[in-house]
Amino acid sequence: MRKIFVALGVFFLMTAAASGADPVRVGFISVLSGPLAPIGQSELNATKMAVEDVGAVLGQKVELYSKDHQYNPGLANERAKELYEKDKTDVIVGCSNSAAALAVSDQAARHQRIFMSTSAGTTDLIGKNKYTFKLNYNDYMLAATLGAWGAKNLGKRWYTITSDYAWGHDLLKHFTSALKAEGGQHVGNDMVPVNTSDYSPYILKAAQAKPDVLVLLNVGKDAANSTKAAVEYGLKKNVKIMHALLFELDIKGTGLQTFAGDYTAAPWNWVVNQPGTKEWADRYYKAYGDRPTFMAAAAYSATRQYLEAVTRAGSKEADKVIKALEDSTYKDFFVSPGYIRPEDHLEVAKAYLLRVKQPAQLKEKEDYFEVVGELPADKAQPPVGLFKTLK
Amino acid sequence: MQKNLYKRLFFCCAAVFFIVLPFLTPTRSLATEMLIFAIFALGYDIVFGYTGLLSFGHAIFFGIGAYATGIVLVRLVPSLFLALVIGMALNLLVSYVVAFLSIRKKGIYFVMITLAFCQMFYFIGFKWTDLTGGDSGFHGVPRTSLGPIDLNSEITLYFFILAIFLASVLVAFRIVNSPFGRVLKALKENEDRARSIGYNTAAFKTVAFMISAFFASLAGGLYAVHSNFVPMDTLSISTSADVVIMALLGGIGTLYGPIMGAMLIVFLKNVLSDWIGNWHLILGAIFIVSVLSVRQGIFPVIFGKLKEKLCVQR
Amino acid sequence: MGVQFIGAQLFNGLMLGSFYVLLSLGLSIIFGMLGVVNFAHGALYMLGAYAAYTICYVCSQNFWFALIVAPLAVGVIGMIAEWTLIKRLYSVPHFYNLLLTFGLMLFVEEGIRAIFTPIGKPFDTPPALVGSVDLGFMFFPKYRIFIILVTAVSVVGIWLFLSKTKIGAIIRAGTDDNEMVSALGIDISKVFTLVFGIGAALAGLAGVLAAPVQNVTPEMGNSILNETFVVVIIGGMGSIPGSILGGLIIGELITLGVVFWPPVANTLIFVFMAVILLVRPRGFFGRARFFE
Repeated sequence: MRKIFVALGVFFLMTAAASGADPVRVGFISVLSGPLAPIGQSELNATKMAVEDVGAVLGQKVELYSKDHQYNPGLANERAKELYEKDKTDVIVGCSNSAAALAVSDQAARHQRIFMSTSAGTTDLIGKNKYTFKLNYNDYMLAATLGAWGAKNLGKRWYTITSDYAWGHDLLKHFTSALKAEGGQHVGNDMVPVNTSDYSPYILKAAQAKPDVLVLLNVGKDAANSTKAAVEYGLKKNVKIMHALLFELDIKGTGLQTFAGDYTAAPWNWVVNQPGTKEWADRYYKAYGDRPTFMAAAAYSATRQYLEAVTRAGSKEADKVIKALEDSTYKDFFVSPGYIRPEDHLEVAKAYLLRVKQPAQLKEKEDYFEVVGELPADKAQPPVGLFKTLK
Repeated sequence: MQKNLYKRLFFCCAAVFFIVLPFLTPTRSLATEMLIFAIFALGYDIVFGYTGLLSFGHAIFFGIGAYATGIVLVRLVPSLFLALVIGMALNLLVSYVVAFLSIRKKGIYFVMITLAFCQMFYFIGFKWTDLTGGDSGFHGVPRTSLGPIDLNSEITLYFFILAIFLASVLVAFRIVNSPFGRVLKALKENEDRARSIGYNTAAFKTVAFMISAFFASLAGGLYAVHSNFVPMDTLSISTSADVVIMALLGGIGTLYGPIMGAMLIVFLKNVLSDWIGNWHLILGAIFIVSVLSVRQGIFPVIFGKLKEKLCVQR
Repeated sequence: MGVQFIGAQLFNGLMLGSFYVLLSLGLSIIFGMLGVVNFAHGALYMLGAYAAYTICYVCSQNFWFALIVAPLAVGVIGMIAEWTLIKRLYSVPHFYNLLLTFGLMLFVEEGIRAIFTPIGKPFDTPPALVGSVDLGFMFFPKYRIFIILVTAVSVVGIWLFLSKTKIGAIIRAGTDDNEMVSALGIDISKVFTLVFGIGAALAGLAGVLAAPVQNVTPEMGNSILNETFVVVIIGGMGSIPGSILGGLIIGELITLGVVFWPPVANTLIFVFMAVILLVRPRGFFGRARFFE
């Protein structure tokens, strides 16, 4: 008789423990279909790695839920809702496309959960609400890094070609003020619709203005097309090119010859000399067959940072985790170190100047970039109060 | 006698279905979105299915409805009713102008000009960043409460929109079964003949167009509140194309067809795209097959076959 | 803003116009003869580029081979599509065929995306055409001159075909009144298939020519299709001189719009199209019968 009671008791205890089971759930949204899919996929791969590497938090196995927003802000909004409501995720990581990220940020505030924004660049995300943390790059950082270094080393006459949408406008704003701060001259700008295939009219206009530097404020296909046209019309012979964002996959898709000698800024690249970088990049390469973009590295870093904060806070309640995250310094291969400001939840870390190698310089597969400079965090990132603050 | 029985069965099933729906779909939010597009497609059936005008520009009215509602709620007065009404009034004006300029063109030219207008409005929305937020979309649309009803809960919002949906269906039903509706059917079959009898076909077409814009506007406004956000693609050609596909697949000229088509497509879009990357491939294939063979639409064919089976059994 | 600069831009507009001419020519004869608004035309253009990619990079043939084979391949695909699918809808209202081609566009684009991945494919300028020619007032890329030449030759070829051959005469007659032509005992349905094939081949040719200057991606056909519709409407649906003139005008308009009035450059043409639709729907050379 007693044995039955003991058995029942143990059974009830176990179910009680199991029903108390409420694991930490990580949500992920990014672009997983369409031309930018490889970037989103690399972020997802990295997030998966992070979740697997951490394994369990607060005694429970961490779960990962991922959604595709197809680079569409409306869809991103829906997915965020699904993740927070149906899948009950405690955090969302990632989200490329600035408009989509803004929508996710709003949903995070509505649902009182955390959003670690790693893939979108708009500075509107800085200090947007207390649930949103901006990590990785932002448009100000790209402009400040390229601007300061570019104006000093490449030339002061700039011609910009901008993708005509929210992100492009934000970039232009920051790049022009960075140029002004260095005493440079903005000799012209062209607003080009996204997904334009023929950039020759704009390149011809740019050539006419005789700049020192051609600044391409675009990404992906637009970056490729504009650069191709610059090569075709011989503009690259006397003008240097700076890209707001340039990834290994763009170079792979179009050919190294097109991009050789171009400059870009990034918070990280798999060739930088930060401890742990080579090891992680090799792990990623072995698992997925190509080199990780800094977007992927950021997703990995943000996920681990969040999970560590939950462990430190001892709870996954948003307010407690927020307290653990803000005013903390994190060190890993991606941010070495990175400090999250309590005033606006921006993670500040240093930035690198990268240059695309010439084909003759290639030593390994996808070894496209070389580091030519770096900018410390306080110079690369915006000062507190330049954008929104939370107080 | 039999017909009444089937009708009652149908309505009972429909009632149960709609009540249970939000609990069946992966999120409540999806069920609400299905209803919103059902309203959109319902109105579209009036102009496409009943009047025979293939408009590729109805995103204009959906988008204006969404933006107007959002902007009013955020910048003017936090009253959902007023916001929706202002959106609809604005759309009445816009749809009248668009119809006035387009109705006289026949066949393919009507399609092209509605397409051109859609592009233009998209462009206006895109450039007028101060008003619409441009490419970022319009954020922060609140869900203001209606008296004691708090719309912040997804379930409450669903049933609220369900009520609006039912009202819309009733209105649409009355419209197409009225003398006005009969004239529309006549002019769809043979416009010249209708005109020769003495009907001012241009006027009828214009009114039908404006009615469908009214429904689109309502759907758009509800969408803004449902998403708390108005993305740029509410004004895009792909939204216009979506409602055409929904209506066609569902079965134009039936009212229930587009409703079901809309709900099915919204559901599949959200659910399938997680599992199957190339969801559009399947949609394209279904669409092609549908246009080639089941031109009346999936649901009329299904119901037709069901009816046959049941009748034969008797 | 010197003469050199304007000259360079105008020449560039000529190249852009060349694509529009090839595409709108195809679209126009398809509409003129078959009454079909081919929403899949951009997809055929894209298929031409991917065919060229497959021939040059997967099968390692040279560009000249692709230039001949790819358009033919796309032409054949077009004929198969017409014979098996589009033909069935001639007896019902025209918009069903419009919707069918729309569905085909979705399907083909997604199919290519599935087979070739969504990332763009690289395509280099053929070695013989790399570099620029010194035209005195500016350096102009050899390849772009080549595009203009090929287009000119093709247009002349099509014109000769239509005006000097028997089939050409049938096509011209059929564009005017296809019931009459079949009443004369000619198997018009085979001619329809041929015309669709020719239109598709022209689109495929444009795609092959475009591959080195534009990114080869599954969605490359979408925006150019929009502009092609504008050209055809402005030039007049079913009119060959209209397509040629319209293509060149729109090419120049877009290019010069970029120079002088950048913010609205692309939408300018849609406003233009709407105005034409309202004021003179037949376009420059179209026939009144089709639309008013």
